[in-house]
Amino acid sequence: MKLLLKTSILVIPFIIFSFFYLYLSKDNSYPGADYKNFNLPSFELENLYDESLISNNALKGTYLINIWASWCITCRIEHGFLTQLDDSNIRIVGLNYKDDRDDAIEWLVKYGNPYETVLHDFKGSLALDMGVTGAPETFLVRDQMVVAHYRGEINKMIWGDVFMPLIKGEGLADAK
Amino acid sequence: MIADISHYLSILSTAIFMLTFSLVLVLDRSAAHSTLLIKRSYSHAFFLFLISFLLYVYLALTDNFSVSYIAQHSNSLLPNFYKVTSIWSAHEGSMFLWIVFLSLWGFVFNLYNDNNLNVKNLSIGIISIIIVGFQLFLLVTSNPFEIVLPFAPENGADINPVLQDPALAIHPPTLYLGYVGFVIPFAYSLAFLINGNKSLNWEKKVKSWSVMAWVFLTIGISLGSWWAYYELGWGGYWFWDPVENVALMPWLAATAFIHSLSVASKSNVLRIWNLLLSIIVFSLSLFGAFIVRSGIIDSIHSFANDPQRGMYLLAFIAIILFVSLGLFISRFSMFDSSKNIKSLSKESFISLNNIFFGVLIFSTMMGITYPLIYELLYSQKISVGAPFYNAIYAPITILATVMLVVSIDSKWGRTIDIKGSFSMLYVSLAISLVGLVAIGYFIGEMPFIIMLSFFMGLVIIFRYSILVISNFLHKKYTNIPSVLAHTGLGLLILSISANSILSSEKVFNMKPNETRSFQNITVRFSELELLNNSNHDSIRATFSINSEGKSFFLSPEKRKYFARGQITSETAIKIMPFKDIYLTIGEQLDNGQWVVNVQLNYFIRFIWLSAAMMALSGLVIIKNIIRTKA
Repeated sequence: MKLLLKTSILVIPFIIFSFFYLYLSKDNSYPGADYKNFNLPSFELENLYDESLISNNALKGTYLINIWASWCITCRIEHGFLTQLDDSNIRIVGLNYKDDRDDAIEWLVKYGNPYETVLHDFKGSLALDMGVTGAPETFLVRDQMVVAHYRGEINKMIWGDVFMPLIKGEGLADAK
Repeated sequence: MIADISHYLSILSTAIFMLTFSLVLVLDRSAAHSTLLIKRSYSHAFFLFLISFLLYVYLALTDNFSVSYIAQHSNSLLPNFYKVTSIWSAHEGSMFLWIVFLSLWGFVFNLYNDNNLNVKNLSIGIISIIIVGFQLFLLVTSNPFEIVLPFAPENGADINPVLQDPALAIHPPTLYLGYVGFVIPFAYSLAFLINGNKSLNWEKKVKSWSVMAWVFLTIGISLGSWWAYYELGWGGYWFWDPVENVALMPWLAATAFIHSLSVASKSNVLRIWNLLLSIIVFSLSLFGAFIVRSGIIDSIHSFANDPQRGMYLLAFIAIILFVSLGLFISRFSMFDSSKNIKSLSKESFISLNNIFFGVLIFSTMMGITYPLIYELLYSQKISVGAPFYNAIYAPITILATVMLVVSIDSKWGRTIDIKGSFSMLYVSLAISLVGLVAIGYFIGEMPFIIMLSFFMGLVIIFRYSILVISNFLHKKYTNIPSVLAHTGLGLLILSISANSILSSEKVFNMKPNETRSFQNITVRFSELELLNNSNHDSIRATFSINSEGKSFFLSPEKRKYFARGQITSETAIKIMPFKDIYLTIGEQLDNGQWVVNVQLNYFIRFIWLSAAMMALSGLVIIKNIIRTKA
């Protein structure tokens, strides 16, 4: 009886802890991450700088789409990490979201431009099609197919856990 | 610059807390000079950490947006009050405050002298190492001092608007003070186990500390409930949200614990319970931190999600829990005794009480973990909601109240005198029955479980009223805190029952100048205006309400905050003696009508009143303990 009592005192919390451990060590323990695959919606948007039209077909290979805006403070926090990604030759397409063109350009001049191309989505129509709920958000696109979506700021840890496993062995660096 | 100083002070403080722990390990713990050294070392570490926190408060007040955390959660337009409270509006700052409070409890405990130097020093050592664990967690995984380089943003991102509220500003600190306060009984009981001297009455020494922590926890939970009621716009006072549940579990355990503590040396069985409960209460408090801070469960509270943090906390809690349980089990034989509890004595009722609380805690834990287990096994998300908890809480609470009223006259070590005490019980049963008939007359038909709850609520209140009167007439001593807390429980049961059966709500689609009626109130949509405020725009709808011959205006709002573009709904509430009229506006429909939600919430104020009575009873207990000592 006493032995049973002693064992159960240890075993019950142990079982509960194991479940939490298993749950935490699952891949999808990032609530902001979504790995649903879908086709990149077709679009034609203006280039932020020269107002030339860019369509979805013009973007090839594997790259990130980063939703940002000059009014978004978290984007400012995220910006440093995006610059690091750019320095290691990761391709990033910026989707300037519901923003004033001049404000956006001024912002990039001030803080630096980590983007290969910046699309100006003034109405947020492409963002809506892609299921964006706010800025910042980041998509990983491979051959016109979205393979990962992260809601919120990305940083080194999220990059390593959510995006890196999906692009291992791929030559993102050479595509530029 | 100041951010760096604040950061370094935190690191230094961690080192000195570690030193304190090492001193406890290596020094002769029973010697006066080492006690002095340990005491000083702890105080120094505490002050360094406190200064680090105060510097951080200064950084927030002066809008130092080069600190990433402040940039993300504060804004230069905020009033100073919210600049300070923005510190605990998210994860890093909350952890910072949590550790400040943890070390503060230890600091106050450290100030008191204890005859048993060995146990006192051991407790300080245990508290120090727990603080070190949390400080490392703060510095390694949730660093609030991180700097935005090279350019600091000109303005901050603003605090989440639903958190810009006085009740919410003080709700987390109060709750944290409650959670971490249980470190004192925890550390002291472990020190008692390590020390191994059975004659030490540790239960008596930790009583006032435990009651104080319980008071904070009670107030903290009630504030959260009150805030959710008027701010979130759903009109309820309790949602069985996982984060509410993880606060409820330590509260239940602590309630069982402080009941059980008073038995102290009266029975060995209850001493074992006390030790186990002190471990359970503190572990459940830490578990609460884990659930909220790991973001493992989606809830209205999940403002921070990070699996790495979750893993650290989980490992840390596991170490604390299994080391203390191991110690507990290895010292089990200390209390080996064939002495049994006499049936129907006060001890027996308190043991029963422990079992009831244990069942509630275990079921709540199941409710929280079941969705996770289910998701692991079947990869599907499910949620456990109010029906589950109601089905468990209602019958067990009723059963516990039956035991409560029977046990009121019970004595230590003796079987209850059935004839002597039951006459008063019969009288209160009779009065309650009359009361129940009166309630039934007003309300009409009701489910059996609600009827039973009404009845037991009345019985508790009348039984205690009779007790007070009888004690007064016979010039006998009345245990005021007990009367206050248990009458509070009776009132709580009554108001929850009344609230659940009487409250109603109705959704109308209305245009300005239209009138609708609902129950015996009429609602007229009289005005719609657009307002521009410093940090938000708002749409304010004004309704003229007529209820029971009284007319008044209510103006719910919808707000759009600039900094985050977040839309919030501001409720308008008219407080009447027995009910609240609660109005919110929703979306505008395509045909120009507005969605208007009208709720009648009965007896909701009494729910918080009863919680206040319980908290007050705790304060009376502490006052009595201090008076006896002086």
